[in-house]
Amino acid sequence: MTAGAIAEAPTRAASPRAVGIVGVGLAVIAWFITLPPALLRTPVPSIILGLAAMLAGAFALQGEERRLGFIDLFLGPLAIAGAIASTKSGLGHLNTVFVWSALVAAMLRYATPLLFAALGGIVCERSGVINIGLEGMMLMGCYFGIFGADVLGSWVMGLLVALVAGGLLALVHAVFSIHMRANQVVSGTGINFLALGITGYFFTAHYGPNGTPNKISQVPNVKLPLIQHIGFFGQAIGDANLMTWIGLLLVPALAVFLFRTRWGLRLRAVGEKPRAADTVGLPVLRIRYLAVVVSGMLAALGGAYLSVAFVGSFTPNMTEGKGFIALAAVIFGRWRPGLALVATLLFGFSEAMADRLPTFSGTLATLFQALPYVLTLIAVAGLIGASRPPAASGIPYVKE
Amino acid sequence: MSDRDVEPDVEQIIEGGAEPGQEEALEASLTSPARLTAYLRRGGVIVPILTTVIAFLVAGVVVLLTGHDPLNTYSAIFKGTGLNWLFPWVSGTERSAAALALQQTLIQTTVLIMVGLAVAFAFRAGLFNIGGQGQYTMGAIAAVWVGSSLSGLPPVLHIILAIALAALAGAIWAGIAGLLKAVAGVHEVISTIMLNWIAIWIGVYLFQLGGPLQDPSQPSTPVSKTIAASAKLPVFWGSAQLQGLDIGIFIALAAVVAFAIIINRTRLGYEVRAVGFNPDAASYAGMNVRRNYVRVMFICGAFAGVGAAMDILGWKFSLFTNDIQTSQIGFLGIAVALLGRNTAGGTVAAALLFGALLTGTSQRNLDPTVFDPNLAQYLTYMIQGLIVLLVSTDVIALRVLKGGRGIAVGLRRKPRGPQATEESAA
Amino acid sequence: MTDSSPSASSGAPALELRGITKRFGSVVANDRVDFDVRAGEVHALLGENGAGKSTLMSVLYGLYKPTEGEIFVDGRQVEIDSPSAAINLGIGMVHQHFMLVPVMTVAENIVLGQEPKRAGGMLDFAAARARVRELSDRYGLAVDPDATIEDVTVGAQQRVEILRALYRGARILVLDEPSAVLTAQEVIELMAVIQRLKQDGTAIVFISHKLHEVLEVADRITVLRRGKRVDTVPRAGATERSLAQLVVGRDVLLAVDKHAAKAGDPLLHVDELFVRDDRELMAVDGLSLSVRAGEIVALAGVDGNGQQELVEAITGLRLPESGSVVVEGQDIAGRGVRAATEAGIAHIAEDRHRRGLVLPFTLTENMALREYRRPLFSARGWLRLRRMRERARKLLHEFDVRGGGPEAFAVSLSGGNQQKVCVAREIASEPKVLIAHQPTRGLDVGAIEFVHRRLIGERDKGRAVLLVSLEYEEVRALADRILVIFEGKIVGEFPPDVTEETLGIAMTGGDAAAEAA
Repeated sequence: MTAGAIAEAPTRAASPRAVGIVGVGLAVIAWFITLPPALLRTPVPSIILGLAAMLAGAFALQGEERRLGFIDLFLGPLAIAGAIASTKSGLGHLNTVFVWSALVAAMLRYATPLLFAALGGIVCERSGVINIGLEGMMLMGCYFGIFGADVLGSWVMGLLVALVAGGLLALVHAVFSIHMRANQVVSGTGINFLALGITGYFFTAHYGPNGTPNKISQVPNVKLPLIQHIGFFGQAIGDANLMTWIGLLLVPALAVFLFRTRWGLRLRAVGEKPRAADTVGLPVLRIRYLAVVVSGMLAALGGAYLSVAFVGSFTPNMTEGKGFIALAAVIFGRWRPGLALVATLLFGFSEAMADRLPTFSGTLATLFQALPYVLTLIAVAGLIGASRPPAASGIPYVKE
Repeated sequence: MSDRDVEPDVEQIIEGGAEPGQEEALEASLTSPARLTAYLRRGGVIVPILTTVIAFLVAGVVVLLTGHDPLNTYSAIFKGTGLNWLFPWVSGTERSAAALALQQTLIQTTVLIMVGLAVAFAFRAGLFNIGGQGQYTMGAIAAVWVGSSLSGLPPVLHIILAIALAALAGAIWAGIAGLLKAVAGVHEVISTIMLNWIAIWIGVYLFQLGGPLQDPSQPSTPVSKTIAASAKLPVFWGSAQLQGLDIGIFIALAAVVAFAIIINRTRLGYEVRAVGFNPDAASYAGMNVRRNYVRVMFICGAFAGVGAAMDILGWKFSLFTNDIQTSQIGFLGIAVALLGRNTAGGTVAAALLFGALLTGTSQRNLDPTVFDPNLAQYLTYMIQGLIVLLVSTDVIALRVLKGGRGIAVGLRRKPRGPQATEESAA
Repeated sequence: MTDSSPSASSGAPALELRGITKRFGSVVANDRVDFDVRAGEVHALLGENGAGKSTLMSVLYGLYKPTEGEIFVDGRQVEIDSPSAAINLGIGMVHQHFMLVPVMTVAENIVLGQEPKRAGGMLDFAAARARVRELSDRYGLAVDPDATIEDVTVGAQQRVEILRALYRGARILVLDEPSAVLTAQEVIELMAVIQRLKQDGTAIVFISHKLHEVLEVADRITVLRRGKRVDTVPRAGATERSLAQLVVGRDVLLAVDKHAAKAGDPLLHVDELFVRDDRELMAVDGLSLSVRAGEIVALAGVDGNGQQELVEAITGLRLPESGSVVVEGQDIAGRGVRAATEAGIAHIAEDRHRRGLVLPFTLTENMALREYRRPLFSARGWLRLRRMRERARKLLHEFDVRGGGPEAFAVSLSGGNQQKVCVAREIASEPKVLIAHQPTRGLDVGAIEFVHRRLIGERDKGRAVLLVSLEYEEVRALADRILVIFEGKIVGEFPPDVTEETLGIAMTGGDAAAEAA
């Protein structure tokens, strides 16, 4: 705000946008104070804060900030309910579940595979090709990663094999979607079936009923010196997996690539208006091919993390829909790496909570597993801003 | 994800002859599922058959690569389907074994027809219903709840009630996606995929250990209550104990007939197809495009829900959380619909094919000395995937039709549009 | 990157196309066309829709490979097999439908593909901006490098297209129907830019079907008809009439034979209508008009002045902000298409592919599109297929639709016949008011005459016909009254014998009387 604006604003109170954001903060605080470490045992301050958040939402609404307004109106009651629930729960339970450092660590673990796949999804969709097959590509990486690590003896080789496997499957998707101008949603669905079949088949044929052997080379964790011993941070990030760090670093790298480099500009042009790109001589189809294959490789890495870094073994259909959560993260994150990261962290957090909630109520925790999907539905319904995919997404390009 | 491309270049249309811009005008004015449907319907019967054959061939290569004999494998699978019962020269114990297997196949066909219709109807309306699995799940929950809760009802009433509520549950679940599209413009692919998983987790929540609808008489099994005898569909071929064929198959066939009639002979069908091919023209004609989306999704969900009721009331009789989480039947419906070209007859044929495949590769029916049923299950997925892939582009259809020229979108070196073959020849 | 030797001194034309033939299957889009352009010259390419102008330019730009013929740039024979090749030869194309990425900025669009770079592949935004400003100043093409394309005016977008070609060093510039999307003021600015480019030595190909424009800007004029080059004439000595004759091949029928109108009561009355367009701007801004039974009222105006929104509001496709649309006493504003149809409004849509027809439907199904709800066609949810078919057969015969019977798919018909289907359907519904929105777009002369005759026929039957058209000749030929729409309002009413000049002034917001004074 310029000095002039401030000077002329005696009748205008705070801006609706600022108030809306403050409302979000109020709701978060409202709930947070009943949780460790504050552990307030009366819900009254939370109720007041929650109501204040709703008021902020109403103010934002009448000030034309519809998005923030609805978010506040939604979060307010949610925070109040959460606070009341917390105050009614046993201290023991609360302290067991809300160990923030462990939660953060778990969140990172769950978010990592999603992140790789989501970043791959962003690259693919930004070039104008819909990738429903992220799930299948993850699965390929998941199996062939650990297969490679087993047969070739090291996790590095395993990851490489995963890359190749994911890339090959993506190549199939690319050929059908780009060259043969297939219906991309349908071909993506076919890819998923194919991956399920291929991985299950070769797993059963090669490993049989005993499954993968123990003690396969795993991607190591990165023990941060010094930080490792500092209370909260030590627990939270002091012992995270190498791939988690790689994934986190990929986020700004991809963002820079997309928005600050020449090839990022070209990729986006191809996804927005391929004919314009063609007219200036860009190789539209080749760019799309590359994007799809890269997305397959990234998704495969995400899947490989599950088997080679996290669990250490493979079971059929191990990804269990994570590819779709990653797709949700792409949409939720509006095809931007930074926001997608936020989405994957959010989804990872809800999975982490679902893990720990059984101490409260064994069964309710299951519903938490559905949270990522519900959140995505809310997001695409426009409650968290319009989702605008790349304009040419899903339309096969026909050179005249 | 938008369905539209650039405006057709009217300049290209020259009066009085084959018009180079026409195909593009067609493509540009249609929604993409409609484009797919239009291509699919021009393929006739040859194309689906060819697609299937190719898929089986490729899968056969995979079988070969892992050291098995594809011919033996396929013949063992065939024996497992029970279709050999149709051969009059088969007799004796082989015949009764085949009869059992055929009953299985037809049971599977029943549900596949229903979930196939759930997808096909949507495609005709220009919508991708990838949510068959979720709609099926909700239908199953409803069916098992009605089937196990109300006792003392006359069977006819009990069954009808269960089917009706299952249909309603599926319809509402699909309707959510339809509403989201109508009101907020949410692409149904996203919403139905999300709803799939939400439905699965709701189901797991309900029937897990300690869940609100878990069977109290089996405290250590995450399963629903078993449905009452009055809710079970009567078996008319084979023995109820050995999972004989129930009357569900007739219900499914009736649904197919209803589908065909609705699509081709009613006002609703006319509107559905118009909206499916060209929403702009449809609204120009005064049709309410958005209301149609909701209506269509409703009907699709109902189909899927009835399919679930067929399964629950016909042979499952209860619902395990494991089943909910591993079931892929809704996705198979996609393959069925696509292979069947979204038509009534095609859906039945494709459902039969996949039903046979599922049965023929099952633990119960496949001779493990020839081929491991576990492996065979994944073989089925591969075949499914190949079929869906091939259908997605229909390259075979277009090549067969045009004899390789015309709008051959197939395997060229440098895609250059409709005139490619002329140019590369020049 | 470009060949910088000025061809004026070497004697060879900057660009020469010799004997270009392009076949699509059995259709010959270009038939041994010769065409050349010198540096510093504007050579216009004139022809009707479908004459082969765009095909020829697509060949030039590497989008098509010519079946026969050669291309020479500065006297050297070249092969152009892709747009990159064309760009490298110094050929720049400004398309009729802009090839710009809407969500990117002006600068990003201009430099796309040849971006200035910094270390590590990073895009040098500052350099891009600077270069854009430099070119913009040099040629007088005002643009804001940081504005997003979708936020700028159409005229500005065209300037961006031109700048993009110039950025790549285009010495040969092809302008494809550049004035189609511009306001009159923007057209004047464009002409000035063309002059600057001429002085700079650029060779310019100016494609158009507008005779008066071509006469204003061109040095030479080549006329294409049905794929062949008819003649190349210098500007001196050419008139609209002489050009029209070359374009059409016979004396242009300037008016269909028609009796004077016998107008009755007003059937359609639009009162103080306000309608917003898709971008929430007020496209129809307090517009009132009325059309009487038995008259054809033509709504003339430059594209984009609210015609589309007006038609959509009248036919029920768009909800007006306020105002009324009264058909014989009944206000149907905002009540949807069905209410409009039932009140007696028929609508020949502007785009027969997108609105008028469902191309994969059969002709029977298409014929029923407007009236399928009527008892004639459906009863209690069931379609009366036999009756639909019979009616379709009757109409196809009556309107002489060629290309298939009732069971033929609409997509297999030619454009003219498709439009006949639309016209037949709307007229057969016996409407009170017939809205014809660009009814002859993309049609050949024969089909145009057919549509015109039927419209006059409807008028004589006592219907109220509202014709919305961008074609001056059509307006003149058909109208009993001409209303001019400008920026969402009716700014003038004229008799059919009004001069093109007066009409043109009104269409661009001027005041004829004031101009004369």
